[in-house]
Amino acid sequence: MKKQLISFQLNNEQVEILCDPAESLLHVLRVQLGLYGTKEGCSRGECGACTVLFDGRAVNSCLVPAGKVQGHSIRTIEGLSRGENIDYIQEAFVEKGAVQCGFCTPGMVMSAHALLKNNPDPTAVEVRLAISGNLCRCTGYKQIEEAILSAAIKLKEKEEPD
Amino acid sequence: MSYLVASNIEQALTSLREREGRARVVAGATDLFLEELPAHLIDLTVIPETTLIEEKDGFISIGAAVTHTAAALSPVVCSGAAALAEACSQLGSPQVRNIGTVGGNVVNAAPAADAAVALVALGAGVLLVDTAGGKREEAVENLYAGYNRSVIDSTSEIMLRLIIRVTDREEGSAFIRFASRKALSLPMVNAAARVRVTDGFLQEVRLVAAPAGPAPTRLRQTEEMLYGKTPSEGTWAEVEASAAKEVEVRGSLLRCSEQYRRHLVGILSARVLRKAAERAIESREGESR
Repeated sequence: MKKQLISFQLNNEQVEILCDPAESLLHVLRVQLGLYGTKEGCSRGECGACTVLFDGRAVNSCLVPAGKVQGHSIRTIEGLSRGENIDYIQEAFVEKGAVQCGFCTPGMVMSAHALLKNNPDPTAVEVRLAISGNLCRCTGYKQIEEAILSAAIKLKEKEEPD
Repeated sequence: MSYLVASNIEQALTSLREREGRARVVAGATDLFLEELPAHLIDLTVIPETTLIEEKDGFISIGAAVTHTAAALSPVVCSGAAALAEACSQLGSPQVRNIGTVGGNVVNAAPAADAAVALVALGAGVLLVDTAGGKREEAVENLYAGYNRSVIDSTSEIMLRLIIRVTDREEGSAFIRFASRKALSLPMVNAAARVRVTDGFLQEVRLVAAPAGPAPTRLRQTEEMLYGKTPSEGTWAEVEASAAKEVEVRGSLLRCSEQYRRHLVGILSARVLRKAAERAIESREGESR
């Protein structure tokens, strides 16, 4: 397998890696870069567990060939926390009991992040639409919806940037 | 395997030519891993003109790498090609819409691809260039060579853009889909329509339903039956019967039976035509106010 040098921005840092460009971004993140926060569920774009931000927009990293990220910016769940502290959306998920087994959580948080960045004051319907590409088999979604709405309120109160 | 992110169309064409059939063009690439991987890939998505949506002289041009999200949010598409905006906002999931492209939805040639169904109803065309220097236009409805097989040869041709005549005064379009869930679910049936309502009578009707064969399928008997009719409850009831009668559908173990699909084609045809006709009437009233 011929490898290719690919440079992109990962969690606000410029990185350059040598990899098979036909490898999925998901595998590059997990296997090559050791970023295990992004989960592998269905591997065919149906569950959303592998959601990352591609130039700020939520995408399924299992469907993105590594070659495609050349010159773009990728953000994973690891890129949200500030040092030891989890970010405000993660905090809201904990407070609202939106995490059970936790497998869908990183994807859910990334979708929530993409939503709140463009729409800091979403309605419940907008929240549901934003996570409509993320499957959760434990919580029944209600707590996740509440967590995202509560994160929006936190965002307003703190005026937290980014 | 190599992956080239082309910076312009010339570079993409040159690279295709040099690889002599072993390279393939991709845009969103969301279906790439579902098939056998080609030896070389040429990505069109950072070529500036492929991401543009423009309206000029009554036509909307949609670059080959415009994502479903971008099309669904475009004011130009929402007002001049409402059916496409509706299809693009319901297809797949937000994650797929954010990277999957409208052009790819056509070239991938799935029988009931939401955006393609809307494009066929709208009477859209595509502009293609090939490695031999040729340039041609084709109607989207003529691009299907079989199930999941496009007439467009991605090893030697590049779609530059889609072209749609805007729905003008007296015209309207709409798209509708029915699936077991509201997201991440293939449609049991989807349907789209474009109509003109002149002096209270239906004219120039295009009605498309899928999956009913390899391509989004026009229901021509129903289209013809509607010429000169008024947009009324009685007419929609006739559409329901006529569309269900003429359509040729297959059942699928995963999605729904043949009978249920036929029933849905009738119901959705009537609903989508009613919506398109309402929009045609609204656009006329909007004009005269």
